[in-house]
Amino acid sequence: MEHQSLSLAGPRVRQIGRVNGRGLWTLYMKEVRRFLNVFTQTLLAPMVTTLLFLAIFTLALGGGGREVGGVPFASFLAPGLVMMAIVQNAFANTSSSLVIAKVQGNIVDVLMPPLSAGELTLGIAAGGVTRGLMVGLAVGLGMWVFVPVTIHNPLFILYHGVMAALMLSLLGMIGGIWSEKFDHIAAVTNFVITPFSFLSGTFYSIERLPQAWQVVAHFNPFFYMIDGFRYGFIGHADGSLLLGVAVMAGFNLFLWAVTYRMFATGYRLKP
Amino acid sequence: MSGAPQRAAAAPPLLAFRAWQPTAFGAVNWRGLWALYYGYGVSRFLRFGLETLAGPLVSSLLFLLVFVVGQRDLGEMLPGVGLTEFIAPGIVLYAVAYTAFQNSAAMIVMDKMEGTIADVQMAPLSPLEVMAGFALSAATCGLASGSLVAIGTALFVDYSYFDATLVLGFAVATALLFALLGTIAGLWAERWDHYGAVEGFVIVPLGLLSGTFFSVVRLPEVFRDWIYFNPVLYAVDGFRAGFIGQAETSLVLGGTLLAALNLILALLAWRLFTAGYKIRP
Repeated sequence: MEHQSLSLAGPRVRQIGRVNGRGLWTLYMKEVRRFLNVFTQTLLAPMVTTLLFLAIFTLALGGGGREVGGVPFASFLAPGLVMMAIVQNAFANTSSSLVIAKVQGNIVDVLMPPLSAGELTLGIAAGGVTRGLMVGLAVGLGMWVFVPVTIHNPLFILYHGVMAALMLSLLGMIGGIWSEKFDHIAAVTNFVITPFSFLSGTFYSIERLPQAWQVVAHFNPFFYMIDGFRYGFIGHADGSLLLGVAVMAGFNLFLWAVTYRMFATGYRLKP
Repeated sequence: MSGAPQRAAAAPPLLAFRAWQPTAFGAVNWRGLWALYYGYGVSRFLRFGLETLAGPLVSSLLFLLVFVVGQRDLGEMLPGVGLTEFIAPGIVLYAVAYTAFQNSAAMIVMDKMEGTIADVQMAPLSPLEVMAGFALSAATCGLASGSLVAIGTALFVDYSYFDATLVLGFAVATALLFALLGTIAGLWAERWDHYGAVEGFVIVPLGLLSGTFFSVVRLPEVFRDWIYFNPVLYAVDGFRAGFIGQAETSLVLGGTLLAALNLILALLAWRLFTAGYKIRP
């Protein structure tokens, strides 16, 4: 029997493999707990607001059995509103997380641990995706009570839901890293995110736009995610579905690369 | 006087100090009120103009655009009134109300969180003056934001009919109403998520379910009776009457109701400041 009377070995350095799984999980859970802690503000309030939007738009514009894209107006509108809730919340989560951490100075708590740029990108983005999808699910279930929801193709719903949440999470991270004050990120929200999401065909079919604007709308990546997402519900799309899938994948890849670069070089993060 | 030695009246003091004298003010500390109103409230709002003025302007115009573009062929909301003409005043008033609420509530919550509310409490201002300073500055910010949105929408909407008395009267009453609501909510809130809860569950529903975007006639029978209990309905309707020349509710009733509500809320807010509700340890 081996018996050591005295061990002089100090604390061992934890061996980290190719991916720091434990650190990644900790970062992810930090991001999730951050918004669950104030769930009335982060989950319930968006749900109430979105349901109110559904109510007013249906009341104001859906009179007289009006149809858009071959379905009742409310059924056309509902997926768009769910998507808007996903978009706004995914963006809000990552951007506020980074801006608050930067302003308060506790961003070092995220930068100091043995997490690579890729792990930082993944961990924070996954937190935003989680919030976006949770709000989207809550809003969707809430709407289901009032609006007949049909599911045409669940794969499209899942793909575009996740891709949209990821895209806005990455945009939120880029915006958050770029911002130095709260005003900066508020400006990004007001002048970039809100216009793109409003003008993407959430509230109307883009077939109603003048010809010239239809062309412009096709350059808006938000258009493809809302269009594809809605196709999953009602089986009618304004644009090309294949193109939409490709645009979402390509754009996310691009944004991922930008975010990765920002973390790797420490742009506006490290002194 | 009796036993004290008499000094020569003409002897000048060795060193002449002009003693510090407190600012003298009468029944109302106008200077302090102005400092709270402008220096503390309005100028803080203007400093973040990009966020506080341009933000609501952009989102309001986007809202209008969505209605104009997407729903052109929808016809008239009320007899003789197109959808855009009907909705635009609602959007303007929504900007007024929302900015006024946000301004007073966020200002007080921020001061409470950072402890700077003591600066206001220490100043020689009576509770009534503090209440007036907060509420009036927030109302002013709401009106500033609303004016900007009104000018912006005027580019797209034909405001041929315009009754300045109605428009101004209802705009001021609404701005005050929401500024006072914000003041009370700000005093009540202990954290940012309390503020968020009031905004999400009280202010936004009150604002959106008030006929801002739809005519009462369009509501299903069940809700039509209930909406008359929402005071914001009267505010929106009266304000819109100033633009389109017809109202769905009684203007006299609406005006009286708003005045009474403002009075009650002002008294309540005054009472809360006097008692130091949640701001005095």
